[in-house]
Amino acid sequence: MRWIVVLIIILASTSANVVAKDKVVIGVIGPMSLPEGQAEKNAAMLAAEEINKEGGILGLPVEVVVGDTKLNPDSATAEFRRLATVEKADMITGGFSSGVMLAMMETMAETKTVFLSDASSPAHPAKVAEDYEKYKYWFRISQNNGTTFAWDLADMIDFLNANGLKIKKVYVIRDEHIWTDAVMKDLKPLLEKRGIEIVKDVQIPKGYTEYEQLIDEAESLDADLIMPILAIAGTGDVLAKQWGTLKPKIMLAGHDLAAIDPGFFDKTDGMANYEVFIADGGALVTAPPTEMCKKFIEAYKQKYGHYPESHQAYGAYDAVYIYKKAVEEASKAGEQNPFDPDVVVKYLEKYNPENPIKLTRTIAFHKNHALAWGDNYVRNWISQWQDGKQYIISPKTVANGEFKIPSWLTQKEQEEEEQKTPETTKATPGFGVLTAIVGLLGVALLRRKMK
Amino acid sequence: MIELALKILIFGAVVSGIWALVASGFSLIFGVARILNFAHGTLFVLSAYFGIVLIKYGINNYIAFVLGILFAGVIGVIIFRLTISPIKTHEVMVVIVTLAIALLVEQFLLLIFGEHGISFPSLIGGIQNIDGVRITNIRILSFFVAMATLILLEVFITRTKTGKMINATSQDMEAAMLMGIDVDRIYLITMFISSILAGLGGLLYSQIFATTPIVSVKALIYAFAIVILGGLGSLRGSIIASFIVGYVIVVTITFLGARWSEFVMLLTIISILVVKPTGLFGVEE
Repeated sequence: MRWIVVLIIILASTSANVVAKDKVVIGVIGPMSLPEGQAEKNAAMLAAEEINKEGGILGLPVEVVVGDTKLNPDSATAEFRRLATVEKADMITGGFSSGVMLAMMETMAETKTVFLSDASSPAHPAKVAEDYEKYKYWFRISQNNGTTFAWDLADMIDFLNANGLKIKKVYVIRDEHIWTDAVMKDLKPLLEKRGIEIVKDVQIPKGYTEYEQLIDEAESLDADLIMPILAIAGTGDVLAKQWGTLKPKIMLAGHDLAAIDPGFFDKTDGMANYEVFIADGGALVTAPPTEMCKKFIEAYKQKYGHYPESHQAYGAYDAVYIYKKAVEEASKAGEQNPFDPDVVVKYLEKYNPENPIKLTRTIAFHKNHALAWGDNYVRNWISQWQDGKQYIISPKTVANGEFKIPSWLTQKEQEEEEQKTPETTKATPGFGVLTAIVGLLGVALLRRKMK
Repeated sequence: MIELALKILIFGAVVSGIWALVASGFSLIFGVARILNFAHGTLFVLSAYFGIVLIKYGINNYIAFVLGILFAGVIGVIIFRLTISPIKTHEVMVVIVTLAIALLVEQFLLLIFGEHGISFPSLIGGIQNIDGVRITNIRILSFFVAMATLILLEVFITRTKTGKMINATSQDMEAAMLMGIDVDRIYLITMFISSILAGLGGLLYSQIFATTPIVSVKALIYAFAIVILGGLGSLRGSIIASFIVGYVIVVTITFLGARWSEFVMLLTIISILVVKPTGLFGVEE
């Protein structure tokens, strides 16, 4: 008899919880001082605003709460815990940085919070595959797995070779970070298979800026391509600026996260012209792949006065909508508590490669909760900066522009350049020695004066 | 091999020039007023941000460049007047307060501009091919501007009346006061000069690279490390130490790789300080 009373009390309190729910809380977590974090926050808020105008989720208003990872695992886990336990977030979206993500996944598992996330390391879905019950709340929605970046980069080289370049030697400049290790592991055999040599693999720390020396070294090693694999360094703009200024006979093409920012061209003082980059997250402001994406980009511009700062905006926006969809599907199916994380996971898993959902991109999850990769889902489109605008140049299904080879890479145009500006490219024998002598004289003069 | 040596010589000289500017400003205010200004790196980035904002509002690049430098000077004077001056006799307090200002401004800049870099448009474009080594004109210009500024600074301090008063104050503040020198005014002038040196360094740096709020910490660490290596308060020591640091970074990038550059630089400084704790040109007090 007693256990029946206890059961009734438990059931009553559970049902009271469902009834008592007066809002849906969406947590956004990311590095809020970076464009990636800002884009996630702005996009989630925009989605919540739109959903609230349409009556919310199952009639409940959506509220957005924000946490700042500061790109630091300690802050990230503390903020995740705050969002999950104090703010009582029903779902958290965001992330950025694979190392930080690994730490947050533990807090996610502990708090059993649905986490529609960013970051790219294959280590994350591997955790879901290894211990499904613990990590099943994690889904990657912003971008593909790091392994697919290698496929995208290899495809990019094939594309460049098919369009007028002869790339046989590659000089890699990459983040000294876990996510690039995963990319390199898969990229090396792909390049070997194509007979392409990696002449040097340079790892750089966060904030590194001395690219001129590296460009110079790449040239001395006869590289045909400088391939940045950069996100955490945060200085892709400096690389593009120095490449565009030095104009070496080497193409700059790779995975440069900074290049996705619509303001990138201005930040490099126009020197990013002709840089080829693979657009993470499967969307670009200038080439939205779906109707919803087009509307989202314009709504974002209208609300914030500028276009999404980074591709993470698409992920966060889709996260709110796919969560809404999953909860509504669960409710329609008669689930007692459609907000229950275990229930939500079940309905999110229904969006698989056989049953994708079209949001700002075409979203589908694999069994390990990684985002499905491919021309029909999400992949990093091969794109290029041309005269201040971003164009997707491959694949043809989404391309809105054609590849242009930088003028200084072709012999004929190189000669024209020399004729136009002979003073800037003319060799100045002995100039280095002169510079050193003047410098030393200055120091000697100072020493004498000090005495 | 000669080409490699030339590369190291040129790249090292250019990097060193900018750090020499920043470090000499840091050293100057310490030498004169015994102030360890931990907000020095802040002035380094503020000048660049101010200049970039002016350009966005349509101001000519050259005018924005000059105003950016002056802005750093004015902010330096305001920081000195409002926060450092009342506590300048308490060295530890000065360090804490200026560090707090640095962190506050860094957070403010992060909120307004975010963490990704922005560049001050290069005052001159193009490149030079120096015996096979290609280098941007802006790097060469930065080196010569830095050297010319340091020479001007030296001439100012040794030849002008105000400069001699600064020198006198740095040697013996009490004696300078007894000789009728308005020491507070001298501190203010020194702070202004120190700040515009940081501001100039920041504007040159943001043309070659890009400026971010985080760069303020980098500039402070570099300036501090260089000044310690050169000997606290020694202008000559700071300049020579700047070149040592610049060349260590360039040699490390060339032979060991980019990831090791700052590690080896700091290791070198520590090694030198173990042998000579007062720095290269410092004297024991």
